[in-house]
Amino acid sequence: MPDPIYLDHAATTPVREEVLEAMMPYFGPRFGNPSSMHRWGRDARTALDEARERVAGCIGASADEIVFTSGGTEADNIGVLGAWRARRGEARHAVVTTPIEHKAVLAAVHQAGREGATERFVTMLPTGVVDRASFDASVDADTSIVSVMWVNNEIGTIQPVAELAAHAKSVGALFHTDAVQAFGKIGIDVRQVPFDLLTMSGHKIGAPKGIGAAFLRRGTAIEPLFHGGSQDRGRRPGTENVAMVVGFARAAELAVAEREEEWDRLERMRIRLETAILERVPDAVIHGRGAPARAPHVISVSVPGTDSESMLMALDLRGIGCSAGSACQSGSITPSHVLTAIGVAPDLANAAIRMSIGCLTTDACIDRVAEVFPALVAKARGQATAALS
Amino acid sequence: MKERVLVAMSGGVDSSVAAAMLVEQGYDVVGATMKLFCHDDDLPDRPCCSLDSVNDARRVCQQLGVPHYVLNLESAFGSDVVENFVNEYAAGRTPIPCVRCNTFTKFRDLLHKADAIDARWIATGHYARVVDAALYRGRDHAKDQSYFLWGIDRRVLSRMLLPVGAQTKVETRAVAHRLGLEVIAEKTESQDICFVPDGDHTKIIRQKLGADTPSLSRGDFVLSDGTVVAQHDGYARFTIGQRRGLPGGFRVPMFVVAIRPHDRAVVIGPREELLGRGVVAREMNWLVDPMSVGATVEVQVRHRSSPARAEIVRIDGGEIELALDEPVSAIAPGQSLVLYDGEKVLGGGLIERAAGGRAPLPVRAA
Repeated sequence: MPDPIYLDHAATTPVREEVLEAMMPYFGPRFGNPSSMHRWGRDARTALDEARERVAGCIGASADEIVFTSGGTEADNIGVLGAWRARRGEARHAVVTTPIEHKAVLAAVHQAGREGATERFVTMLPTGVVDRASFDASVDADTSIVSVMWVNNEIGTIQPVAELAAHAKSVGALFHTDAVQAFGKIGIDVRQVPFDLLTMSGHKIGAPKGIGAAFLRRGTAIEPLFHGGSQDRGRRPGTENVAMVVGFARAAELAVAEREEEWDRLERMRIRLETAILERVPDAVIHGRGAPARAPHVISVSVPGTDSESMLMALDLRGIGCSAGSACQSGSITPSHVLTAIGVAPDLANAAIRMSIGCLTTDACIDRVAEVFPALVAKARGQATAALS
Repeated sequence: MKERVLVAMSGGVDSSVAAAMLVEQGYDVVGATMKLFCHDDDLPDRPCCSLDSVNDARRVCQQLGVPHYVLNLESAFGSDVVENFVNEYAAGRTPIPCVRCNTFTKFRDLLHKADAIDARWIATGHYARVVDAALYRGRDHAKDQSYFLWGIDRRVLSRMLLPVGAQTKVETRAVAHRLGLEVIAEKTESQDICFVPDGDHTKIIRQKLGADTPSLSRGDFVLSDGTVVAQHDGYARFTIGQRRGLPGGFRVPMFVVAIRPHDRAVVIGPREELLGRGVVAREMNWLVDPMSVGATVEVQVRHRSSPARAEIVRIDGGEIELALDEPVSAIAPGQSLVLYDGEKVLGGGLIERAAGGRAPLPVRAA
């Protein structure tokens, strides 16, 4: 079999060489605890502070506005639940979000709901973008916090977060965005856009799994999720993961530096793959294709008459790794809440395949997928008649 | 090139060994565990049901060096199997969900997945055998599961591999040890229906049909002559031939002899009233060339019963009627009627009712 092709960069990416190299000393000689007063501690503290500054620099923030977390899920929980809890005393009861958020946001919103918040879900347009009228109607003087993801992880549509954040601010609500899929793809400048909270994750940009960060605008109060020491101003107790923080900073810097060039490279490949698929499978549906803006790295495609599971197995057995909707803990696939929310019919939603390209993708990969995918579609579609022949 | 086989793996010893044997035999094995239901629908975000079984199957596949997938067949299983299960109970019958799971889930839906991955074969850990596209009892008669396989499309037989069917359970466990599958080698097997883990099937009926379903509402125990003798808490708790939970105080042991959903009555009577001289089944499915009226066969009306000789007296579309040479006890609507010729499975159907047997000879006018 030819070399396997990884088309699941939206799920995770390999750790970059430069990142690994940057981290190594902190697993070895520079192992200190940043809270210690001695030289080992000082050394680790320096590394931590520098990393924080560098991450802040990537999004136009100040160092004290960056909180390192265990990843996107924790940062989303801080951004939604931490912020909601800190504002509980105020006469604002609603938490507004979209039905296409990552489960980390949706579950945090539900938790806020159990703690007394009114949950409001904005209507989505079939293009995969927030219905602006619904958004404006949902975000009002009773709104405590709004959370809208920047780039959707399943279909790659980009929400107009700058406008949405501005509207939220105008009624006094906090605005959080899950920027996990946007970070390193779209330029982020918190001096230009009035985000109050923003989520970043390391392993989508070549840092290890288990590290992420939240941007927390100065003056935005949160209630910490954990209780413990006074690390990170008490916002995130627990000895800092220095090596991974350093790795994350390195990955972030690299991603931001390469951002525009990588966008062009990925977008060109994505369009090539989409074009090839649509040419060979004319009735294939690419979700979110009508959105005004899309990320360069995500293709969500459904072929009528197929199902995700069969296609994913068949692709995997041919060495091509893709994903579908949300995977549950057993590894089985459940229909995508994102596709359902944008009005995709159940049959089509159950056929969705997500291909996400990235650092490992080359033109040769695209060519092979463009060739294999239609062949597998033909097989999957032929099944009804072939089954018993 | 190696022929590919999709193996349905539950995480238990039989299907694990089936997969291992096929690897040994040189097949290109792909393991799949079907996710069929969630115990707690109220908590959709909770870890899935039977996660441990999935993990066992995954570990076995890792050990065998073959890919493993988890396939979500929950929605189809829900309508084909679970819904039918509760509806059958509500209709006063005693369903066997495993039969429908084999017919629709394993050897139809899973087969479709096999097609999509170009698998020539589909395999399970059933104790039954397929030889020359015909189905036979498992060699280990104590474990024989052929009774549950009558409903599959005959054309599927030519694609089925049942590797453990030619050996005993003891041998299967020995193979597991020989191949180092210690994870599963000594797993005990559950006698329960997979979606009724605690053996209490009334829970799922209540969950699906509501607490006030007539099938779980108070009704009368009556004798065949109509005498009301006591009350019961729902006819879905009873099955033909059952003794447990019946009112006492009779001179002879009493059994459930009929269930009447229309007036919620559970009819009880002595052993003799359980005897049927014939049986009518519907949804008749042949695994051999269809037979005709007059043919003699052996039949089983439940999983663990001895085969009884019978003659086909009527075939009417999907309905079949057989006359039994000797009366058979406790012919329960909803159970399966399976036709055998010795070891070979001829076909089967869903028991509709006991019947009168051979029509009495017409009485000649003197």
